[in-house]
Amino acid sequence: MSSRNVLQRSPITALITIMALLFLFLPLAVVVLFSFHKTGGLSFPFKGFSLRWYRQVLSSPEFRASAENSLIVAAASCALTFVLGTLAAYGISRSSSRWRGPLSLLFFLPITLPGLFVGLALLVFFARLKLELSLRTVVLAHFVYVFPFFFLIARAAFDRMDIALEEAAADLGANHWKVFRRVTLPQVWPILVGAAALAFALSFDEFIITFFVIGPDSTLPLFIWSSLRRHVDPSINTVSTLLMTVTFGLSAIAFLFALRGERARARTLELSLRGEMDPGRSI
Amino acid sequence: MSLPAAAALLLLLTVPLATFALYSVLTAGLFSVSGPLTLENYRAALGSSLNHTLATNSLVVGVATALISLALGLPIAYWLRFAAGRWQQFVLFLVVASMFASYLVRIYAWRTILGDNGVINRALEGLGLTSQPLGFLIFSRAAVVIALVHILLPYVILVLFAGFRPMPVAILESAQDLGANSLTRWRRIILPLMAAPAVTAFLFVFVLSAGDYVTPQFLGGTRGSMLGVQVQASFIEAGNWPLGAATGFVMLTGFLLCYGLALFALRLTRLDRVRWS
Repeated sequence: MSSRNVLQRSPITALITIMALLFLFLPLAVVVLFSFHKTGGLSFPFKGFSLRWYRQVLSSPEFRASAENSLIVAAASCALTFVLGTLAAYGISRSSSRWRGPLSLLFFLPITLPGLFVGLALLVFFARLKLELSLRTVVLAHFVYVFPFFFLIARAAFDRMDIALEEAAADLGANHWKVFRRVTLPQVWPILVGAAALAFALSFDEFIITFFVIGPDSTLPLFIWSSLRRHVDPSINTVSTLLMTVTFGLSAIAFLFALRGERARARTLELSLRGEMDPGRSI
Repeated sequence: MSLPAAAALLLLLTVPLATFALYSVLTAGLFSVSGPLTLENYRAALGSSLNHTLATNSLVVGVATALISLALGLPIAYWLRFAAGRWQQFVLFLVVASMFASYLVRIYAWRTILGDNGVINRALEGLGLTSQPLGFLIFSRAAVVIALVHILLPYVILVLFAGFRPMPVAILESAQDLGANSLTRWRRIILPLMAAPAVTAFLFVFVLSAGDYVTPQFLGGTRGSMLGVQVQASFIEAGNWPLGAATGFVMLTGFLLCYGLALFALRLTRLDRVRWS
């Protein structure tokens, strides 16, 4: 028996993985299941399916307003992050300046801070500037929160690229912008789209920071929070399920695009190694 | 090209943090916050015995969450790297997807599971094992830890998997050919090589869970309340921003010390120098 086989059979770690997946998904499954409950009961026995809570939630004006705000905030902060993040990641990846280290640290910093501090610091800052709390301040706060995630993924994508292709394009007379648009971007765009979907999902679900900087408005997580505070209402299950559907969907998109980016990269690498890169073909 | 982002983050993160620090040495008035500069807030924050209890809770919850997440994350990441085979991508997808199950929804889910009328208590009563709800399930530090592990475990798995990824199978195979059983392989090879990513994951989980203020609010009750809740309350309920800022800054300093100590320990033991090439 080869040793490889022995390593591959690892029953204890396999068992732990299965248990952990159950631990991760069963509680969520309970929420989804009870969002379809016929009665208002929140625990077993389950009395049958109905869509009454969905009808109730979807016709609630508060829910609609919160959902709309969540979409606006996530779209705006995702767009802001996409533009500034792509520029920053490309700049850092192609730079050899001595500011590279400190800047990377600054771009990573928000991840290392609990949201409590980001939220409170921004609350104090906005108050000092006499800036009224609104969805605008939430967008700025979400930008700070999602930026590092986008930056890390985008930078890794730019770092792993074959720079020789960009150099070749520049040697052939393409200017900076043309090199970026025609050579760099086609190689990384699936990963950038994936990272943007991730940024959108993170913003859509953010509560910890939002709580401090939103003022009188509401987003979906704030809607859930306030119904959690008031009473236990079966419609929370429904709102939760709808929220998770959006974030799950986005994470699936992010994952598929990341896979696609991986494959595109492998193909480019293979072609350029063989020296058969056809410049007329898009990747 | 990085300038716009750098300017934005300096303006929206470092300047606000500096303002936050400034507030911690000002005095709270009726409608405004003003000078002269004082250390009174720090004296109040450090002297409060309630804060000592809450800080202990934060510490215990943070360490417990981080240790449990690591204990689960290491074998899972190992399985993903060496044993998963064609299941690897599917399970990775499940892990990433679960990362996106809403933060508040998870807290809510654990409340419906652990609560007095929750799934567990109802099931136990239904089976005739208990006659009244087990009140200790919810509103305790344990409940907070369970929910936080649930929230943070996916991140830990991904960080550790990234750590395992460059590890050559050959290292483990040769160890095995030389007669090392699986326990020895973990103790002598895997754990030392994984020290740096494991410490990273530990710190990440520790800081995020010890600094949380929402999970303890809904699952901690009075027994499991934490320092973050107090900081939040100083700002939102009591309206004493300088006191909240001082308490927050003490917390933040504690976290920075943890980061520093961990990096120092890694360097001291030279476990940060693993290179594969």
